[in-house]
Amino acid sequence: MISVKQLTKAYGDHVVLDGINETIEAGEKVVVIGPSGSGKSTFLRCLNLLEEPTSGQVLFEGEDITGPKCDIDRVRQQMGMVFQHFNLFQNLSILDNMILAPVELKLMTKEEAVAEAKRLLERVGLPDKADAFPGHLSGGQKQRIAIARALMMKPKVMLFDEPTSALDPEMVGEVLQIMKELAREGMTMIVVTHEMGFAREVATRVLFMDGGNIVEQGTPEEVFAHPKEERTKSFLSKVL
Amino acid sequence: MELFEDLKRGLYQTFVLDNNYMYFVRGLKITLIVTVASLLIGLVLGVLVAVIRSNYDLQRGKKSVGMKLLNGLAKLYLTVIRGTPAMVQLLIMWFVVLASMRQTEHNMLLCAILTFGINAGAYVAEIVRSGIMSIDPGQMEAGRSLGLSYGTTMRKVIIPQAVKNVLPALGNEFIALIKETSIVNVIGLKDLTKGAMIIQGKTYQALVPYFAVAVFYLVLVLILTWLLGIMERRLRESDLR
Repeated sequence: MISVKQLTKAYGDHVVLDGINETIEAGEKVVVIGPSGSGKSTFLRCLNLLEEPTSGQVLFEGEDITGPKCDIDRVRQQMGMVFQHFNLFQNLSILDNMILAPVELKLMTKEEAVAEAKRLLERVGLPDKADAFPGHLSGGQKQRIAIARALMMKPKVMLFDEPTSALDPEMVGEVLQIMKELAREGMTMIVVTHEMGFAREVATRVLFMDGGNIVEQGTPEEVFAHPKEERTKSFLSKVL
Repeated sequence: MELFEDLKRGLYQTFVLDNNYMYFVRGLKITLIVTVASLLIGLVLGVLVAVIRSNYDLQRGKKSVGMKLLNGLAKLYLTVIRGTPAMVQLLIMWFVVLASMRQTEHNMLLCAILTFGINAGAYVAEIVRSGIMSIDPGQMEAGRSLGLSYGTTMRKVIIPQAVKNVLPALGNEFIALIKETSIVNVIGLKDLTKGAMIIQGKTYQALVPYFAVAVFYLVLVLILTWLLGIMERRLRESDLR
């Protein structure tokens, strides 16, 4: 579904991604772990071109989205993204946050969008928050809304950029719960996270990144229980 | 007692005699038309220039020739307009740029609206730009990640928040604009201030006409301040944190 070829990203002399090759198939739940500064967030943000790669290719369903002819807005409609800091639109109510994109892009009529938004709010357990504003919600609630907003676009893949890192500990569970349900329903997911428990339970594949490279990968069992690389071992010994 | 008599005569001659109050009424109309119309032009122009400038500043990597050109033009506009007095701009607009126009009140009004619109646009642009730069970049990223274009995200998400944040500064600019329109009489427009000057010429009264005109401006500014206060409160409903 997503295929990355020789992806590099550099800010001046500082190389963040150092020629990454990776392919992610439909239905996979890929969890990316690694120390901070390892390039995992940059890698994720390159997949929908929020970060412009310095060189290399990103292919989405066979189409080169780094090419000059690609309409990136159309591709992004199919790739949902959830951010560390939620990034709900501060000036809009929860309902308007959710229906803005599908209505503006004429994917749904306003009535259809409202109905869909209500359904999704029910699903993330916040049916009574439609008219609230982002400023009124807790971090965990905001992140659940952010996930629902991304789902409004009926994306083929969901990208999660440290979705629980900015949350108070007692709110992490409610967000992970929704992500687990999403995984169970078969959504293709790429998740950058520090939640090792989530990685173990949900991931079909774990990527360990360090220094702008994917150092090691495998099933959660392989990576967590029998890491082969020295760097993986030292990282895991610190976080587990 | 004599002071009281003087005041009474002043009031009579300023307002009642020859229906002199009509100078204020007609003047008020001109002042209001110039202010409101140039305010609208200034807002549109200002937001446009602010978007160009902040887009240029926030863009990373290589910048296109078109963007550079637009940004250069915007900067030139800001420099020239903010670097010269409004009265000089008004004189140049009327006696040079629009010199071939017939000297009707309609044309003078057009000239004043255009000049003050362009003038206000420059100040509004910098105010709105500061508002746009203050918005968390995550808002734009969220919009783009949903597949919305740069323009749509700007229009629906960024600009509304930016304008809300800079409303007090914008209010300041609009208050300044109301008062600055008092120089339009240099091209022959009979605004509120000119009304007082005419009455002074006719009646040799100074105190009452000029104090009256001062009160008119004060009331206009108070009304505007009140309206802005309502708007601010309405917009703030969304962020009770």
